[in-house]
Amino acid sequence: MALLCGSASVTPMFLSHNTNVAVTVSASTKSSFVGFQFHLPKLSFSSSVPTLSPTSFRVRCQEDSSAAATVAASAAAPVTEDPRFACVEPEPRFKGPDIWNKSWYPKAADHVNTEKTWYVVDATDKVLGRLASTIAIHIRGKNLATYTPSVDMGAFVIVVNAEKVAVSGKKRTQKLYRRHSGRPGGMTVETFAQLQNRIPERIIEHAVRGMLPKGRLGRRLFTHLKVYKGPDHPHAAQKPIDLPIRDKRIQLQK
Amino acid sequence: MWSSNRSMSSSLGVERTKKKMNKDKIFKLAKGFRGRAKNCIRIARERVEKALQYSYRDRRNKKRDMRSLWIRRINAGTRLHGVNYGNFMHGLLKENIQLNRKVLSELSMHEPYTFKSLVDISRNAFPGNKNVVVPPRKVAF
Repeated sequence: MALLCGSASVTPMFLSHNTNVAVTVSASTKSSFVGFQFHLPKLSFSSSVPTLSPTSFRVRCQEDSSAAATVAASAAAPVTEDPRFACVEPEPRFKGPDIWNKSWYPKAADHVNTEKTWYVVDATDKVLGRLASTIAIHIRGKNLATYTPSVDMGAFVIVVNAEKVAVSGKKRTQKLYRRHSGRPGGMTVETFAQLQNRIPERIIEHAVRGMLPKGRLGRRLFTHLKVYKGPDHPHAAQKPIDLPIRDKRIQLQK
Repeated sequence: MWSSNRSMSSSLGVERTKKKMNKDKIFKLAKGFRGRAKNCIRIARERVEKALQYSYRDRRNKKRDMRSLWIRRINAGTRLHGVNYGNFMHGLLKENIQLNRKVLSELSMHEPYTFKSLVDISRNAFPGNKNVVVPPRKVAF
């Protein structure tokens, strides 16, 4: 269905690629691209026929010597043709939703939680901020072409070995984590090392939460992050795959 | 209701009819508002005025927002192929491909193979800047 509309305006080179799409998509419903989970509709082969100006409509215009007679509505008055409507077809060739003139917005079936990818990442000796940034991008869905800011299109991320995450410089003793209870004198300050001894998961959670959007959707995205202390996690049933990290400086050099 | 105001206006002046019409219009525009703003005229009038101002401003903002959304989607789509948005658009510019960002974003979502061919065209036209400065490596103490 995606190929029918607007194929007349696409150059012939694209048509050969469109036939490729028609052949491969009919074999599998999901595309082979990483993170591309869009359910493509069934395509028909008749759509790949290159359609130029339809000649079947040129019934009475060929006798008339009116200008711009590519398609003329037979219902229009043959004496005076309104040049504004010379290129309008009496019946649209394609009957279906207009996907080329409206920006795509995901339906509910496009972002069910049960069909999202699960990623797993080992935090041993990875720089904290760079790791959190990559995780936040995948949770938010910014690496997908179907990214929508108002909809949760991202994936789930599992972090293991959270207590072994690393920071550069003197941050291990100098980075402070503060929290305030709301009462006067209720500020608690901890260093990175103390928090890592106490609750190591909180370090990564704090870092990622600062990088996700703040709001109702951000809070829901945060629940898609699962951090664990040791090397194992209880989500083997979701078959998580390795998180693809493109940052070259994420591994700490010792 | 309309006819009764008509009969009264002949004796009391035209203002009464006009106010009743204005109130109805305002409540009609205030549908779905929160709290008293949909029921009480004094509050509804203010909120409806604000709503109309926002809609005026946002008719212009919508064009900007949609364009930024298309750019973000194209960026994500090209990064899947190892090219970032800036280099991609520069390559298209060099090849004089004048597809707009709306169509490019729809292509990146619905026509992945076509989009890959576009990325390849752009990469051939503009391979990207090779002289990227790499900052020094981070070391733990």
